[in-house]
Amino acid sequence: MAEPVHKRRKVKHVSSDEEEGESGSFASFGDSADEDEEIESGRNNDGLNGELSRQEEGKEELNNAEMDVEVKGDVHSDGTTSDSAEEDGQTLHEDVQIKRPSPKITNTPSVLRNDARGDATSKPDPIRSTYTANTFRSNMFKLQVDELLEQIRPRQSKREIEAEHALQRLKKTIETLPSRGPLPIENAERQLLTSNRVATPFPNPRPPKDAKYKLAYAKPASVNVIGSHALKTASRANKVVEIDMVVIMPSSLFQEKDYLNSRYFYKRAYYIACVAAGLKEAHGTELDIKFNNFHDNPLKPVLTMNALSPPEEKSAHSTSSKWQINIIPSIAEDVFPEDKLGLERNCVRDQGLGAIDGTAEGQAQSPTPFYNSSLRSDMLMTSYLKLLHGVTKSCEAFRDACLLGSTWLRQRGFDSDIHSGGFGNTEWTALMALLLQGGGPGGRSMLNQGYSSYQLLKATLQLLAVRDLSKQPLVVGADMGFANSTSGDTPVVWDSARGHNLLYKMTPWSYRALRQEAKTTLSMLGDQHFDGFEATFIVRTDNLLYKYDYVVKLDHASIAGTKPKREHQALEVHRKLYDTLHRGLKDRVTQIHILPPSSDSWSLGSAGPSNANNTELLVGFAVNPDTVNRTIDHGPTAEEKSKSASFRKFWGGKAELRRFKDGSILETLVWSGKEGGQSVFEQIVRHLTSRHFGDEVEKGTHVVGDAYKKMLPQDSGITTFTPLMEAFKQLETDIRSLNGLPLSIRQISPADAQLRYASPTTAARGRRQMPADVVLQFEGSARWPDDLVTIQRTKTAFLIKLQELLQESIDSAIARIGLENQEHDIVNQAFLDIAYDSGAAFRLRIHHDREQTLLERRLKDKALDPRSRDIAAIGLAKYKRDYVKTPAHTQAIARLCSRHPGMSGTIRLTKKWFASHLLSNHIADEIIELMVARTSIQPWPWQTPSSVQTGFLRTLAWLARWDWRAEPLVVDLSGSSELKQAELQSITTKFEAWRKLDPALNRVVLFAASNVDTDGTTWSDGRPAKVVAGRMSALAKAACTEASEKQFSLDPASLFASPLGDFDFVLHLDPELVGKSSQRKRSSKNGVVFKNLELADEEDSSSVGFDPFGELVSDLERLYGSAILFFSGHPERPIIAGLWSPQTATRAWKLNLSYSTTPLKRTDAEQVDAKINKDGILAEIAHLGRDLIQRIEDNEK
Amino acid sequence: MRSLQIRTRQYQSSRMVPMPKSKVATQVQDFTAIPLRRPALPAHPKETTHYLYIRANAPKVPTEDTPRELFIVNVPIDATEHHFRSVFADHLGGVRIESVDFEDTWVGKGIKAPVVHADGSRGKKRKRGVEDGKTDQEVGVLPETWGREVHRSGGTAVVKFIDQASAAIALREARRAAKNSKEIMWGTGVESKIPALGYARYKAHHKLRYPDPAILQSSVDTFMEAFAAQEADRTKQLTRQRSEPDEEGFVTVTRGGRTGPAREEEARAQEEEFKKREKSRVKDDFYRFQVREKRKEHAQDLVKGFEEDRRRLEEMRKRRGKLRPQ
Repeated sequence: MAEPVHKRRKVKHVSSDEEEGESGSFASFGDSADEDEEIESGRNNDGLNGELSRQEEGKEELNNAEMDVEVKGDVHSDGTTSDSAEEDGQTLHEDVQIKRPSPKITNTPSVLRNDARGDATSKPDPIRSTYTANTFRSNMFKLQVDELLEQIRPRQSKREIEAEHALQRLKKTIETLPSRGPLPIENAERQLLTSNRVATPFPNPRPPKDAKYKLAYAKPASVNVIGSHALKTASRANKVVEIDMVVIMPSSLFQEKDYLNSRYFYKRAYYIACVAAGLKEAHGTELDIKFNNFHDNPLKPVLTMNALSPPEEKSAHSTSSKWQINIIPSIAEDVFPEDKLGLERNCVRDQGLGAIDGTAEGQAQSPTPFYNSSLRSDMLMTSYLKLLHGVTKSCEAFRDACLLGSTWLRQRGFDSDIHSGGFGNTEWTALMALLLQGGGPGGRSMLNQGYSSYQLLKATLQLLAVRDLSKQPLVVGADMGFANSTSGDTPVVWDSARGHNLLYKMTPWSYRALRQEAKTTLSMLGDQHFDGFEATFIVRTDNLLYKYDYVVKLDHASIAGTKPKREHQALEVHRKLYDTLHRGLKDRVTQIHILPPSSDSWSLGSAGPSNANNTELLVGFAVNPDTVNRTIDHGPTAEEKSKSASFRKFWGGKAELRRFKDGSILETLVWSGKEGGQSVFEQIVRHLTSRHFGDEVEKGTHVVGDAYKKMLPQDSGITTFTPLMEAFKQLETDIRSLNGLPLSIRQISPADAQLRYASPTTAARGRRQMPADVVLQFEGSARWPDDLVTIQRTKTAFLIKLQELLQESIDSAIARIGLENQEHDIVNQAFLDIAYDSGAAFRLRIHHDREQTLLERRLKDKALDPRSRDIAAIGLAKYKRDYVKTPAHTQAIARLCSRHPGMSGTIRLTKKWFASHLLSNHIADEIIELMVARTSIQPWPWQTPSSVQTGFLRTLAWLARWDWRAEPLVVDLSGSSELKQAELQSITTKFEAWRKLDPALNRVVLFAASNVDTDGTTWSDGRPAKVVAGRMSALAKAACTEASEKQFSLDPASLFASPLGDFDFVLHLDPELVGKSSQRKRSSKNGVVFKNLELADEEDSSSVGFDPFGELVSDLERLYGSAILFFSGHPERPIIAGLWSPQTATRAWKLNLSYSTTPLKRTDAEQVDAKINKDGILAEIAHLGRDLIQRIEDNEK
Repeated sequence: MRSLQIRTRQYQSSRMVPMPKSKVATQVQDFTAIPLRRPALPAHPKETTHYLYIRANAPKVPTEDTPRELFIVNVPIDATEHHFRSVFADHLGGVRIESVDFEDTWVGKGIKAPVVHADGSRGKKRKRGVEDGKTDQEVGVLPETWGREVHRSGGTAVVKFIDQASAAIALREARRAAKNSKEIMWGTGVESKIPALGYARYKAHHKLRYPDPAILQSSVDTFMEAFAAQEADRTKQLTRQRSEPDEEGFVTVTRGGRTGPAREEEARAQEEEFKKREKSRVKDDFYRFQVREKRKEHAQDLVKGFEEDRRRLEEMRKRRGKLRPQ
């Protein structure tokens, strides 16, 4: 199959190239965008191409199927249908339209519709499944989407009915309200305040006292329900049913020039106040009526209404808060001329504001796009409703796509409100409707009406991701009347038919964030190894702790206080903050996101929103890990006068002129890179805030993000491991340069966590530590014996030789032969420890590949007794793990760690987490590494984490969600899709086979595979037990709950604290004897100060690999087997905890119980019971551990 | 973290079992339960009782030593021969022990003859790596790395007394001791004679596991010599088998003839290779029927895949409930 598909793809590319030449396509949008965007889009295309080929595979199949039946193979032989249009740009939809007459294709939408309605009981048929393969990502994805839509599609339930009743009543009331005015402003306001206790919510600045115009109220021209409720595109998952009711103010109230200087908004404010007064009188007892800023826009107050639950029905609060009605005043489309409110026009003249705002003078005629669009959007309410209504009629999947889109936005924290992005359901729906109308080249539509909901979603995301709308505005419809005058960083989607910028509420940062999310989602959907459904629609990604590497908290009042006069220009302060941070941090950060506090609704009587309780302004940063802590910044050269002047102005006293080695004289910033103090990032942020916003702001600044890194005993980077890595290279050269070895060396490979930047601690002088495993393989030879036991002896002989040679030729190292695995003589018996004076230590074992064949043969040998075959199985697993899997795994992880700077630290922190929760003897290091690697390689729905904090928390978040009963953990460590689909398939098959074989999960609980280990059970065969894995999940869940509750007030240390009360008994070990620091203490006690004396101390090298803690744990596990489950905190906490297994419940006495018992005679019967002798066992343990155990805590008493 | 009160129900249940009123039995089946007192330690400041079950040894296949042996169940993990000597000499009739066989003792590279068990399943019988036809003596044993063995909980041992009478006395005394709940202190006066447990034991192990290379070398040499001799012996025997007909007049076909049969896996690899060549001779899309069949197969795969996906989703729904955005 692979061959024909390949060919097809080539053909495809050619044809799409041609089309590009003719009319351009999606890919061409990115042409003039900046460089990294191009790379980004290139990557996306890669993913898409992959998908394309897969889709075509299905397509071809379909064609072939048809060929079989109808014997007319050339009908669809070019393989282009609606689905491919999505990939190659909208131009292709022409083809689709040409094809439409073909009965099969016209069928598509109806089939889709049936699918979308999700009749789950009907039988699947091949044609249908192939259709889904084309129009959705995969069958699985489609089935899940159907299921999701079923859950979120709005339906008429109690709360909706209740809300609609209320709506009817409100409408009636509004239509009967008496007219008021016209009155001069002050009179009008006072009258409302005194007679109705309603304060008119004038936007800031208030209307001037000397204003000539008057305010009035008259019966509305019409009252209508609009928005997502009317369109049935509101997701049921929303907690509150929101219904938008628009009240069209009669045109008679307005004068021709009212669009100027906020006059319209003043009148509007008075109008809404009058409505409020009327409604309060009529419904004040049953409804909770409040003012609110519509979508956070301070120019546009609206009324929100919730049901007041009657006091006697307090218990029924369930329905009371579940619906909300917004009353939005607006005007007819023809009240003000469209061209006066273009993006380039100024509508806030300085004579009105000059007196108040001095700064406006200099820029008297600068355009006011936000103001204009705010007004314009009021005029277009009905018009958009009509548009959307029309689209829902003509495009089958539109509603579903809206639901999917709004879910996607919601999970990412986007909303129509300005503070949460200014891009929500409303904008999504309108954007998609517009794209269905036009937006493509030559005025053709960008989306096709025959698309499936998934295709609509994906194509819309594609537009958001690929095209930078702030640099290249998208104009839908005829190009007339559009003149862009935004400052170049506000995105524009210009709807020419209605003369409006859809994205007027978006800020540069929210637009960047949205694009980032769209890009991430697209590359996620292109990842074939990943079922992106959950990450796209289910997981919430808006928790700042997971999303950003750093979060900076600022005091909003003190920042906004620097420019409080024009309220809707608080945005400008945010923009200044953004610009400052952006300029100051440059390439250190990849994303800056500003989250102003949201404004609350306020009661009718008060003048405006009181933001007393949330004054925190949050700024999230995603950093570039390579540059974030660079200590020196170079500015312009001294010759560039104007540039350096602006540099100095920006940085103040921090800028210094320095001369560098290459002779250049540059403006320079030097930050202190000292460990322990503030990170460079924090220093810069503090400097910038204090310089540009004042010391007060700087004092209120709080930087969150370094705390996790500081939990590590050593630096979080991979530099900590440099000495060890160098020592390993030294070892390799030392061994390779030996003369006189009987066989030449093929390979020396590292096989240890220390040699893949992943061990919690590294070699350091004077520290008692475990040597790093190394595997040595000789070139093949026919002279090896053909017997397992003898092979082990031969290996021992080789090691003795190696040791002699090493001792002769190298002075700086001590080599010693040690023995292991004495209980099984067919597995490796000896190793060679090599301890360098530098503190690095290695444990060398010889790999002989003949062993595998011999072990396999033994395993199959029917003549052998079962016990011997068991041992052979153990030996084979050990062989594969030690000599094949671990070296490959080590290499892969080491490569990843050097590629992703945050990863090494994250692995170490995660291991610390496991050890702190006493799970270290259950979950293998390699599995933890795979978990963390997964976070980097399949970071969805985020991008690859670039700090320890995000990496760690996202790993925990995934761990909390991981359903290990039904999902294998599969990681492609190559990071370049070396793991092929077929291998993935075989891993899945193996996983399912294990689950079938062992449904109770007695043997394999966690199934973790990677491209270097497709077995999946290498590190999890036998342990952890199910109960331990359950505890792991529960602990991760608890940590995530904690993280989402406390957000950044979360103390990282609290995630590592684990109560011991859960265990039946706890052994407290002597930290001196088991601890890593005892060596150092002893030597300092003896007063050894001279380096050479310390070297002479033989203790140092002979204690390498001495680990009484680990030995004690393995002894206990061996002695008590399944009777007690031990939990060791090695090496994080000197504690071993235990749980009595339920198997040890009192039972009839029998001979071979594997635990110490007390014989108990039942008084009522002859029978003798065996009761576990817990006291006796604890005493035994105390004797076994002797001085190692300080105290045994028995929790059962 | 307040939400960390995690206990699995499974593990909790063991605590909840209600205890019927009962007292300690002295006799279980044909075993006598002797209470042993264990002194308190600072880490566990309480004297405890351990029960040793004892009876006359009755293996399925008795040996001539069987009458002077006793079978012991629930051996304390820290038991040594010294411990048992002291128990029997000081408390149970003053009889003398010849040796104690612990069930899980590792000798050299293998296990010594196993203790015969009632159910027989625990016997870790296995073939020795080197069967030195003539003698049972193990040669080329690697140096021992533990100064003192510990035994798994609930394990067994066989105690061999110097004569049959001693065994009988010991058993009788044991019964009496059990009846009178005689105070038998475990390990008094013994601990000083044997290597200590705890940190010292691990320290000693750490020392022992790095033997002198010279000793190791000689051990390996001995082993290799024995192995070579054995191999030579075997070759000789095979040659003989090959050349001489046995008593029924058959000549055994054996490995290692003049050409020597190939290694099994080599032959298999060759076969594989051959099959591959065979396969590649006719491409699998050469004939029309091949293409058609392949296509059909693919269509079936698609349907199967679809049904599989449906099933998976159904399972997922069962597991996690409805799909709703978080």
